Amino acid sequence: MNVETSYSGSTAVAVVDGRIDSANAKDFDEELSAIIDRGVSSLVVDCGGLNYISSAGLRVLLIAIRKTNEAGGGLALCSVPDHIREVLEVSGFVRLTKVFATADEARASFAK
Amino acid sequence: MEATLEVDVGLDRNEPRRAVEEFERFALEHELPMGLTFKFQLALDELLTNVVSYAFEEGARDPVITLVLQVADGRLEALLRDNGRPFNPLRDAPVPDLDLSAEDRRVGGLGIHLTKAFVHTLSYERVDGWNRLNLVQPLAAHREDQT
Repeated sequence: MNVETSYSGSTAVAVVDGRIDSANAKDFDEELSAIIDRGVSSLVVDCGGLNYISSAGLRVLLIAIRKTNEAGGGLALCSVPDHIREVLEVSGFVRLTKVFATADEARASFAK
Repeated sequence: MEATLEVDVGLDRNEPRRAVEEFERFALEHELPMGLTFKFQLALDELLTNVVSYAFEEGARDPVITLVLQVADGRLEALLRDNGRPFNPLRDAPVPDLDLSAEDRRVGGLGIHLTKAFVHTLSYERVDGWNRLNLVQPLAAHREDQT
């Protein structure tokens, strides 16, 4: 797993690739927490390069959703591959966070 | 097509990944459908992660966890065995309430929920001190789903 983040004020886009499971969920949590701790309240997680996520990774996303909601912003996902989208649907995560086609659309949703 | 893979899984949090990556190679080698491979891999990962995390006390003697995979008769089958404490995840895991808000959602049970959704037939039995989880996935039915 690798996370590349670009910042713009209180909004950030984190591009995640690779695999998130119980072996590295802690690292993913540290990455997202560090981004939010820099004052980011609106976080876009770009899943274009994500090829695997288990419930351990979903747990980390849930924590980040809570933190960004509390900060008055939120978390949005974009570029989600079909098989990952199915995981989000089955786990009910599509009801907890918005899913956009592109990072630009996701970012724009926070600007409103 | 008939093939078998046996994987010994150590009591370590990195082991589920190693085991399911072995399954992934096996699936690729035997040309199993990609969608099925992903879902089955996720199910194995969730079940193995549960076992590695919770089935054994600290310093448990001779913990054994094994995974046997078989492709035969148009189906993929897995038997996951461990000699840890009795635990039937199909019955005993908490059932997540997917309608709750992010603030109220608990994450426990999500892995088993995904496993049940992604595997055609799951069964559990406790035999002679072993937990035995059996997973069965018809290959043909899945191919139809894919089209």
